Parts: sequence; structure tokens; C-alpha cells
Amino acid sequence: MAENKTNTEEFRDAFGKTLIELGKENPKIVFLDADLHTSTKATGFKQTFPDRFVQVGIAEQNLFGIAAGLAFEGFVPFPSTFAAFASRRALDQIAISICFPNINVKIPGSYCGVPTSRAGGSHNCIEDLAVMRALPNMKVADPGSNEDLRQIMKTAVATPGPVYFRVTRYAVPELFGPEHRFEWGKGVVLRPGSDVTLFGTGVMTHFCLEAAGILAEQAIQAEVVHLASVKPIDNKLIVESALRTGCAVTAENATIYGGLGDAVSQVLAEAHPVPVHRIGVRDQFVESGGIEELFALHQMTPQDIANAALQVIRKKAKSEQEAI
Amino acid sequence: MMQLTTDELRHLQERAYQIRRLSVEMIAYSQWGHIGGSFSMAELLAVLYFKDMKLDPEQPSLENRDRLILSKAHGSPALYAVLALRGFMPEEKIYQYCELGGLEGHTHIESAPGIEATGGPLGMGLSVAVGMAMGLRRKENPRSRVICILGDGECNEGNVWEAAMSAAHYHLDNLIAIVDYNKAMAKGFVWDLMGIEPFADKWKAFGWNVLEIDGHDLQEVARALYTARWVKANGSPVVIIAHTVKGKGIEQAEFNYKWHTHAPDPETADAMLREVARNYGYPEEGYSKLEKAVEKETFYGGE
Repeated sequence: MAENKTNTEEFRDAFGKTLIELGKENPKIVFLDADLHTSTKATGFKQTFPDRFVQVGIAEQNLFGIAAGLAFEGFVPFPSTFAAFASRRALDQIAISICFPNINVKIPGSYCGVPTSRAGGSHNCIEDLAVMRALPNMKVADPGSNEDLRQIMKTAVATPGPVYFRVTRYAVPELFGPEHRFEWGKGVVLRPGSDVTLFGTGVMTHFCLEAAGILAEQAIQAEVVHLASVKPIDNKLIVESALRTGCAVTAENATIYGGLGDAVSQVLAEAHPVPVHRIGVRDQFVESGGIEELFALHQMTPQDIANAALQVIRKKAKSEQEAI
Repeated sequence: MMQLTTDELRHLQERAYQIRRLSVEMIAYSQWGHIGGSFSMAELLAVLYFKDMKLDPEQPSLENRDRLILSKAHGSPALYAVLALRGFMPEEKIYQYCELGGLEGHTHIESAPGIEATGGPLGMGLSVAVGMAMGLRRKENPRSRVICILGDGECNEGNVWEAAMSAAHYHLDNLIAIVDYNKAMAKGFVWDLMGIEPFADKWKAFGWNVLEIDGHDLQEVARALYTARWVKANGSPVVIIAHTVKGKGIEQAEFNYKWHTHAPDPETADAMLREVARNYGYPEEGYSKLEKAVEKETFYGGE
């Protein structure tokens, strides 16, 4: 595992670079913008492939409809906007024009969750994972690092059908080396452990690793599992890990209603119930503020994850005692 | 000037009649569907599928075909009917309308060959058509046209005007929108619920060529499509505002929004079909499933 502690490149920068890389490989890729390309970092693609960059103006419903039309004609459109506008404004178009006919549209959702700008609750999207996960035929991924994002984008292009993936405006240390490959429905054990599993997705996986470090100081061995593929989810790995550790914390840069935490809880409830605590935004809008300030406010810091781990470990111990 | 011959007129009139007949058959049999908005499009679809559009039922994905998107996807009975008549599917398949594994209630690409997109929620189809028209340009296919049929009430939707703005911006003169202006919506008249006039001016202001016709006059429909396709291909998209009558051909359904979503019971369907035949001068032909349908189940009208 190649850890680059000094990474300052945000996901969106890696997105812009990978887009050019994919554009060179696949002439069918067309990028559709709704007046945000300098924020989403698609400027490089625009410069490299000006004739494959389509500006639709500030019209997200039209953005996704046009993407559907291009997909029907054999292109691989990337209709791009902020996650908030994809999952709120244009949900109907994504559901019926794209997901129902199951066509080849790749949707990057930018400005996800807590770490965005200071734009506030209207722009900081916490419900996209839940909303997109609920759509039949849609695959959903939240990358844990830039290399993960790159592999997700490559896999998305290689996978027929609709895909939604997150492009967060944040930088985390690299989790993977160039040998990393992303697969739908496959999680990755980043750190083995026996006392508790920390299931992370997106930027929160990095926080889970930091939380595991905090727990190690107290002689607690936390297993860290990265679930970039939120849908389909890795049922097998979730159950295997819970069998090893007996309790779990989930962490997502999103609302806890309907996203990763619920997906993991559903798997465990049906296959192997263990104490679970979900870390994420709790039924609130993420209002304007500083990024680290907001992570603290919403109790999503590595320390919060470690505290939640101690809590589920206590619950596990209590139920084990009761069983005796 | 483009002119249909007497033979063509007779042929297309018969097709329009069959579209109405099959629409009633499938709506009555499934006990769900939209008679009013299917009947108002009968002549439009007859001319499109039997005169204007380049199509091959044997090769429904032919690259240089014309594409049609029914944005008012609740008009599905009429579209499924014309596809069956044109040979895209066996006529018997219409009795699978709204049945599990059959033809979706609103047009769905997986239902039948010849359906080009999935729809249902109003306001979406024109955007998909814009994307297709852009796609054809990218593929350097100058011959094919994308035709999108919209409802009048549908033009209350903001998405329609986003699409309209972009089609003109991108000079998509390979895109032809047809508005089935039948004056009635689901629960009332357009002017009363949410007026769209001055309608032609709106499209003009959005940069479109506008043609206005009697949507039940086959000669006018054919001429407008010819004009849209060949004469007005001048760098702007074309909209044909087709003035029609909702439910045209059945007196009780004409101009009557109560027949927007409503399925007739078997006896009413039988009477309707006989009336349509009389009105268009064909031998009376009742509801083919009358006896079977009466035995089949209770009728709920399907609103």
C-alpha cells in the first residue's frame, strides 16, 4: 500500500486528469457541462477535446435528458454538475430517461457532503448516495482516494449502464498504488483487525484509518474496510468481517439515512446481526462553515469514529455477557 | 408543392382509423389508458409512420432511420398501434398492453422494437430528442431526423423550454417537434388550468421555425412534415403546432378531458368502435374481445 501523506491534490483534480486519460482511450466519451466546468475541473478535457465538450447552460433537467439522447446514439456521456443538482433537481430525468432504459450514462456528482466550499446547505449534498442507491439499475461509488477515483472512472466506462460516482472537493492521502483495481461489489480490507470493523466509504475511509490508529493506542485492533462500491455492496466481505470482529461502525460523508450505513446495516441485519453505529450527517443540512469545523459539528472526525467504536465494542461485550 | 395522391390519402385515412380502433381495443382490454390523447394523434402518426419517416421494421436499429420520441408517453396506445400496423410487432401483442412482461403503460424502450426512449413523466422527451439530434450530428448523419411529439399541457413543464432553448442554440434543424395541441389536459382545458398562449410566439421567441396546422388534415400534416424536413432545414429546429381535437372520432370523448385517462367497459368500447367506423366511413366493426372481456373481470375505468 503506497501511502502518500503529503497529497494535496483534491479528488476533483484527479477527476479532471482521468477524464482526459479516458477521453484519449475512448472517442465516444462526451462531457456535458451545466456552467460549472472550472469548479468540477473539467477544463482540461474542454481544452483537449473542445468538440466533445457540450455546454448546456444552467439547465440540469436538460443536461440529463441530452445525456440520455447521446447514450441512445452510442456515445458515453458524462453529464456533470454538483451532486445537489443531480440528485435533487434532475432526479426524475435520471430515473426515467436514464435508469429505466438502463443506458450508458456516467454521472460524476461534485461537491459532496461536508467538505465543499462555504456555499452552505443548498450546495452541500448529503443525500446523493441514498437517492442514487434507490434507483434501479444505478451503480454507485464513492472513492476513497485519487487512485480509487481513477479506477472507478475506468471501470465505469467499461461497465454498460448508468453509474453515479462522487467527486469530492477534498484531498486525502493516497490509499492505493497504481496496481489497484476497482470492482463493483468488492470492498477492500485496508487494515486487518479483530475487535471492531470500521466500514468506510469516500473520504471517510481515510478517517477510519486514523480512527484505527487512535484505537490502536488503546490496544484495540480495528479492521478497516473500504467500500467504494456502495451499490452493489460487498455482502460477503461485510459479513466475513463482522464474523471476525462482532461489531461495526460505518462512516460516510453523507446523511446516515439511506446511504452506506443503511446498506451495511441491512446486510448485517439479514445475515449476521451485530451492534452497529453509523457515522454521518444526522438529519440536518450542512450549512456554511469551515470544513474541519463542520466535520466536528456533525461528529464525523476520526475521534468520533473511535468513540463510536468503543461504544459498539461495549455493546458487543454486554450482549456476550448476557449470552453467558 | 408536396401533395398526397388520392390513393395515399385513402391509405393514410384507413391507417388513422386503424390506430383509433387498436387504441380502443388495447385500452378496453387492459382497462387502462388514454383514449383522448391517443385519438388526437391518429393522423399525425399515420402520416409519420406510413409516409414521412424512414423506417425498416426488419431493422429497427438501422443507423439512418428517423427517430421518434413520444414525450407525451401516455399516448402509448396510439404509438403501439402504429408500430403494430407498420410491422414492428404482431398485432396480437397489443392485448399485452399493461400486462406483466408486455407493453408498458407509458412508452418504454424495452416494450417493443421501434420505441426509441422511455418516458412517462411529462416534459422530458424533448431533451432526449435534443441529445439524439446532437448525436446524429456527431456521427455525421445528415439524413436522419429526430421527431418528438409533445402534449400541449406538457408545455407547462420548464424542462420543455430548457430543451427548446438548447435546440435553437445548437442549430438542430434535424429536430422536428410536433405539439399535439388538443386543448385539454387531464383535469380541464389548457387555457383554464395553465394557459400556454401565445404559443407560436413562444416557440418563435425561443428561436424555432413554427408551422401551424390542422392536425387531423392528412394533407396538411404531410405537407408540414415535408416542409419541416426539407424546406425549413435552415439552421433552426422546427415545431409543428398541430391543432387537434382530444378524443377525435368518438362524440362523448371529443374535447372532453374526462376521457383523458379512462377505460371504457366492454359494451362502451364496442359502441365506441362502431361509432368510429361509422364516422370514418368504414364497415362497422365492434370490440373484438367483447365476449371474452365480459367474462374476464370487473371493470374499474382505470383512472
